[in-house]
Amino acid sequence: MLNSLQDLYHIIPLLIVSGGILVSIIVEMYSKDSEKILFALSILVFGAAGLFSLYSVNNVSILFNGMLATGGNVNVFSFIFNIGAFIVTLLSADYIRKYGTYYGEYYIILQSSVLGMMLMAGAKDLFIIFIGLELMSISFYVLAGLNRKRYNANEASLKYFLLGAFATGFIVYGIGLIYGTAQTTSIDILTVRFPQLTGNLLFLAGVLLFLVGFTFKIAAFPFHMWVPDVYQGSPTVVAGLFSTGGKAAAFSAILVTLAALFNGNVGSLFTPYLIFVSALSMIYGSIVAISQDDIKRMLAYSSISHAGYLAIGLAAGNSEGTAGIIFYLAAYSFMNLGAFGIVALIEGENETNLSIASYAGLAKRNPALAALLSIFMFSLSGIPPFAGFFGKYYVFFAAIKSGLTWLALIGILSSVISVYFYLRIVVLMYFKDQGEEVIPSKSAMGMVGVVLSAILVVLLGVFPGSIINLISSFL
Amino acid sequence: MTQHIYLTILLPLLGFLVNGIFGPKIKNEKLIGIIGSGSIGLSFIISVISFFETLNLPVDKRQTIVTLFPWINVGNLNINFSYQVDQLSLVMALLVTGVGFIIHVYSIGYMHGDKAFWRFFSYLNLFIFAMMNLILADNFVLLFLGWEGVGLCSYLLIGFWYDRKFEKSTTADAGKKAFIVNRIGDFGFLVGMFLIFMTFGSLNFNDVFNRASIFNVSEGVFSLIAISLFIGATGKSAQIPLFVWLPDAMAGPTPVSALIHAATMVTAGVYMVARCSVLFASAPAVLIVVAVIGILTAIVAASIGLVQNDIKKVLAYSTISQLGYMFLGLGAGAFGAGIFHVMTHAFFKALLFLGAGSVIHAMHEEQDIQRYGGLKKFMPVTSKTFIIAALAISGIPPLSGFFSKDEILWYTYANGLWFLWVIGVITAMLTAFYMFRLYTLTFEGKSRFGSDKHPHESPKVMTIPLIILAVLSVIGGLIGIPEIFSGEHGNRFHNWLSPIFKQAERKMIIFGTHSHFEEIALMTISVVGAAAAIWFARHIYLNRPSIAENLSRKFRLTYNLLLNKYFVDEAYDYTIVNPIVKGSTSFLWKIADNKIIDGTVNGLAKVVAIISVYSRKLQTGLAQFYAIIMVLGITLALFWIILSR
Amino acid sequence: MSLEILLFIVFSLISVISAILMITRSNAVISALYLILNFAGLAGLYLLLNAQFIAVTQVIVYAGAIMVLFLFVIMLLKPEHEKKFLEAKPKLKIFAVAIAAIIFLQLIYLLFFSKPSESLSPEMTKSIDSGTIEAIGKQLYTNYLLPFEAAGFLLLAATVGALILAKKKIE
Repeated sequence: MLNSLQDLYHIIPLLIVSGGILVSIIVEMYSKDSEKILFALSILVFGAAGLFSLYSVNNVSILFNGMLATGGNVNVFSFIFNIGAFIVTLLSADYIRKYGTYYGEYYIILQSSVLGMMLMAGAKDLFIIFIGLELMSISFYVLAGLNRKRYNANEASLKYFLLGAFATGFIVYGIGLIYGTAQTTSIDILTVRFPQLTGNLLFLAGVLLFLVGFTFKIAAFPFHMWVPDVYQGSPTVVAGLFSTGGKAAAFSAILVTLAALFNGNVGSLFTPYLIFVSALSMIYGSIVAISQDDIKRMLAYSSISHAGYLAIGLAAGNSEGTAGIIFYLAAYSFMNLGAFGIVALIEGENETNLSIASYAGLAKRNPALAALLSIFMFSLSGIPPFAGFFGKYYVFFAAIKSGLTWLALIGILSSVISVYFYLRIVVLMYFKDQGEEVIPSKSAMGMVGVVLSAILVVLLGVFPGSIINLISSFL
Repeated sequence: MTQHIYLTILLPLLGFLVNGIFGPKIKNEKLIGIIGSGSIGLSFIISVISFFETLNLPVDKRQTIVTLFPWINVGNLNINFSYQVDQLSLVMALLVTGVGFIIHVYSIGYMHGDKAFWRFFSYLNLFIFAMMNLILADNFVLLFLGWEGVGLCSYLLIGFWYDRKFEKSTTADAGKKAFIVNRIGDFGFLVGMFLIFMTFGSLNFNDVFNRASIFNVSEGVFSLIAISLFIGATGKSAQIPLFVWLPDAMAGPTPVSALIHAATMVTAGVYMVARCSVLFASAPAVLIVVAVIGILTAIVAASIGLVQNDIKKVLAYSTISQLGYMFLGLGAGAFGAGIFHVMTHAFFKALLFLGAGSVIHAMHEEQDIQRYGGLKKFMPVTSKTFIIAALAISGIPPLSGFFSKDEILWYTYANGLWFLWVIGVITAMLTAFYMFRLYTLTFEGKSRFGSDKHPHESPKVMTIPLIILAVLSVIGGLIGIPEIFSGEHGNRFHNWLSPIFKQAERKMIIFGTHSHFEEIALMTISVVGAAAAIWFARHIYLNRPSIAENLSRKFRLTYNLLLNKYFVDEAYDYTIVNPIVKGSTSFLWKIADNKIIDGTVNGLAKVVAIISVYSRKLQTGLAQFYAIIMVLGITLALFWIILSR
Repeated sequence: MSLEILLFIVFSLISVISAILMITRSNAVISALYLILNFAGLAGLYLLLNAQFIAVTQVIVYAGAIMVLFLFVIMLLKPEHEKKFLEAKPKLKIFAVAIAAIIFLQLIYLLFFSKPSESLSPEMTKSIDSGTIEAIGKQLYTNYLLPFEAAGFLLLAATVGALILAKKKIE
C-alpha cells in the first residue's frame, strides 16, 4: 500500500510508463495517424522514465507492503530498459513501415513489455516477478509475430510462445514448490528463512526449476534452442529488444532472487549449475556463431555466448559479480541494440540483405555506418577501450576473486574465438569489395538511435569506474 | 583556475569535435582556423592563470590533483581520470599550449587552400588534447593513453598528404614506419608499467614515487624498470637505436614537423624520464646508459646533419641531436637542465621549422638547399628570425640555447663525465656548423633557383608567429641564468623545478665541488668553439665552396657514410626488416601460415563444421523437439540436485 | 479413509485420466471435451483446498467461456483428423514419453522422500477462510494491490496483442 505522496514520487518511472500505455490506447482509439503521435509519445515516455530513474537513483525504498523496491540498482535497471526501449523506438520509426506493420498498437505493446521488465527488476515478491515476466513475455510473443502475413514471423512468434509458455510453466511450478515449502513468496522473508530451508530438497528443487525457467529467458545453454529461430524470424528491431531488454530483465529477476542465496552462507549452493550453464553457453555460442551466414543468426549465437559471460558473474556469487553483471548488461544492451539497429538499416524490403556478405564494401559506400558498426563489433568482442571490454573485465575479475579462475579463462578463450566472427564483419566492410549493390535505407531516426547507442557505448567505456562505483554503492 | 585545469584538455577536444564533425560543412577557412587555434589559445590562457596561481602558493603546496572521475577501480588497481598540476606539468603545459597556439595560427597561413583544411586542424587539436593528457596525467595509465594518442595523431599527420610521393615511397609509408618503430618503444613502456605495478602495487605517480623511497627494492629491479621506461622514451624521442622514424616523419606538413616532431611530442620521452626521476635516480647504471645513448645520438645525428641537403632533413637530424642533449642532461642527473633545454629547444626549433616552412612555401615546395640561395632579400623577416634561431641553437650567449645547453654540459662535467663533455662540445661545434651551412646556403650568396620561382615573403599570419618565437628564442633563456651570473637568486628555473626532483637528487651522488673559474673556462671553450664553427661554415659556403667539395672528395668514405646516414636504415633493413619479411614469407607464410595456421584453421573449421552440422541437426526448427530438449535439461538438473543432496 | 481423501482420489483420477485422454485423441472436438472434464476435476480439487472462489471461477471461466471459444474455433477451422498419437514421428514421441516419465518419477521422489516441511505456519492455518470472495477481495485490495494492478496491465497487453494479430490492414 502507498502511504504518502512521497511513495508516489518513488514510483514515478512506473507511473510514467503505465500512464503512457493508457494514454496510448486512448490516442489509438480516436486518432487517424496514431503511428506518428504514438511514436512521439513513446519517445517522451521512455525518455522521461529513463532519465527520471537515473535522477532518482538514490531514493531507495520498499513499497506496497514489501512487494516493490525502488531506487538503487532497480532504477539502474529501469534506466537500461527505458533507454534501450527509447533506442528501439527510434530504430522502429521507419523500420516498421518497411516491415509492413506501420500501425500505432506496436508502440503500446512496446510500452507494456517495458512495464513488465520494470516490475521484474523492482520485484520483492515472486508474484511480482511472475506477473512482470508474463507481461513482458506476452508482449514479446506479439511483437515477434507483428506481421501476420510473414511466414517467418508467424513461425518465430508461435515457437517463442510455445516454448516461452513452457518455460514459464516451470517457473510457476518452481514458485509453487517454494511457496509450499517456505509458505511465503516474499523474497525478504525467503532470505531470512533461507538457511533453514536449504536442508529441504523440495525447496531446492523449486529454486532450481525457477532458475531453469530463467535460464531459458536469458537464452543460455542448454535452453537456448529457440533463440536463433526466433531472432531470425522476428522483426530486426524487435529481436534487438529481445536480446537486450529481455535478457536484462531476466537477469534482474535472477539477481533479485539469488540475493537470498548470496546473502546466506550457502551462496555456493547453485554454483555448479551456474558454472555449467555459463561455460557451455560461452563456448557453444562462440563456436556455432562462426559458421553462421545470416547476421541475425550470428547475433543470436553471440547473444547466447554473452548470456554465458553474464552467468560468470552469477557463478562468482559475490558483490563484484553482481555489479559486474549490471554494468555488463548496460554495456551489452547498448552495443547490441546498435548492432541490431544497423542490421535493421541495411535490411532491404522483404527481409533481404541479411546475409553477412551484404556487408562487404560497406565502408566505401557508407563510411559512417561502417565506422559505427565497427565500434559495436569491437565492443561486443571486448576490445578496449569500449564498454564491452570493461563489462567482461569486471565479470572475469569477480570470478577470479571467488576462486573460479578457470571459468574466467574459459571466458577469455571464448572471447578470443568470438573475435573471429565479430571482426569478420569489420574485415568484410573495409577490405572486401561489394558483391551486390546494397543501399541502406534512409532513416534519420534510425541513425539517431544508432549514434545514441554508440555514444553510450563510448561513454560507458570512458566512465566505467563512476558507474561501477554507483552500482556497487547500492549492493 | 588550477582546479579547472581539465579545461585545457577539454577545449582542444571540443575544437577537434567541432572541426572534425562540422568541418566539411563549414567551408570557411577563417572560421575553422579560429576554432582550431582559439581553443588552444584559451587553453594557453588557462595554463597561464594556473601558473600564476601556483606561483603564489607556498613551495610545498604547489601540487594540485584535479580528479575528474574514477576510471578503472578493481581490486587494488585504482586509476582515475585525474590531472596533476605541479611545477613540471605546468612548464610543459605552458610550452605545449603556447607554442601550439603559435603554430596553429601559423598553419592558417601555411595550409591555406588545402582541400582538407578542416581535417588538418581537427587532427592538430586532437594532438594537443592527447599531449595535454600525457603531461597532466597523475598516473601511468592516463599518461600512456596520451602517449598512444600523440602517436596516433603523429601517424595521421605524417600521412596527411597520403596521396603524395615522399622520396622513394609515399607519405603513408613514412607514417607506417613511425607507427611501427614507436610500437617497439611502447612495448618497453608497457613492460615498465607492468613492473612498476608489480613492485609498488600502484600506478599513481605520487604513490609510486613515495613508495620508491620507502619500499626496500633492490637496485636490479629499479634498473629493470628504468631501462624498460627508457626504451619507451627512445622510441618516442627518437634516440639510438629507434631514431630512424623521425627523418621520415618530415613527410608531414611543416607545421606538424614544428609542433609534433620538434617542439612537443618528441620531448615526451624526456618529460617521462624527468617525471620518473626518482626511479631513474635509484638505478645509477641506467642513468649512465641514458647519458651515453644521449650523447651518442647527439653526435651521430649532428654528423649526419652536416651533409644533408633537404632543409627539413637537416632540421630533423638537428632535432634528434638536441634530444640527445636532453637525455645527456637527464643521464647526468640534471633533470631540471634537461627540461630547461626542452623549453628553449621548443622555441628555437619551432622557429627554425616554421622558417623552413616559410621558405618552402615561398619556393613552391622545393626543399633542396642546393637550389636555394640569396633568399635574404626576398624574405627579410624569415631570414632574420632564422638567423636568431640558428644562433640560439649554436649556443651563442645570451640567446636561450646557450643557457640550457651550457647547463647540461656543466652538469655532465661536474658529475665526472668529462669524456661525454668533450663529445658534447664537439657536437655543439658540429651543430653550429651545419646550422650556418643551412643558413648560408639558403639565404645568402647567389640565387641558385630557376626563373620559374618567384620567392616572396610570407603573409603576416605566418611572419608574426616567427617574430614571437624569435623573441622567445632570445629571451627564453633568461629565466635560467646560472647561479654564477645571477648571484643570490640562483637559477630561477632550477629553483622552480627543484621540488619535483628533490626526491631524486636525494638519491644521487653529490656533485663534486668545482670552482667558478672552471665553470667559466668550460663555458668559454664551448662558446669559442661554436663561434669558430660558425665562422668556418660561413667562410666555406659563402666564399670558398671549393673547400667543401675538396673535403667531401678527400674523405669520400666518411662523406658517403654521413650522406647515407651511417646506413642505419639499410642496416635495419638488412638485419631486421628483411629477415622478418623473408622469414614471414618463407617460414611464416609458407610453413606457419599455410601449414600450421591454415591447418589449425582448417582443423578448427572442420570441428566447427561438425559441431554446426550437429547443431543444425539439433536445430530442427521443430518446436516440440526443442521442448523435449528443454525437459531433458531439466531432468538432468533435477538429477543433479537430488544426487548432490 | 476419510471422505476428504476419497474425494481427492476421485477428482485426481478424473483430472489425470482426462488429461491423458485429451492429448491422445485424434479428434479435436473430443480432446476439447476431455479438457472440460479435466477443468472440472481441478475445480473439485480447489474446493477440497477451501478455495471456493477459485473453484467457481474455474468452472465459469475455463470450463464455460474459454471452452466455448475453443469449440467455436475448432468448428470454424474444421481441422483434419490427426493421426493416432504414436503414428506421426513415433521416435520423437516415445522419447518424449520416456523423458516425461523420468521427470514424473523425479518429482515423486522429491515430494515423498524429501524432508517434510516444518509444521504449518500461521499463514497456512488461516487459509480455511481465505478462499471466500470476501477474504480474497480484502487481500487483493490491500496486500496484493500491486500484483492486482499489474495483472490488469497484463490483460490489457494481451487484449491489444490479440487485436494486433487479428488486424485487417496488414500489408
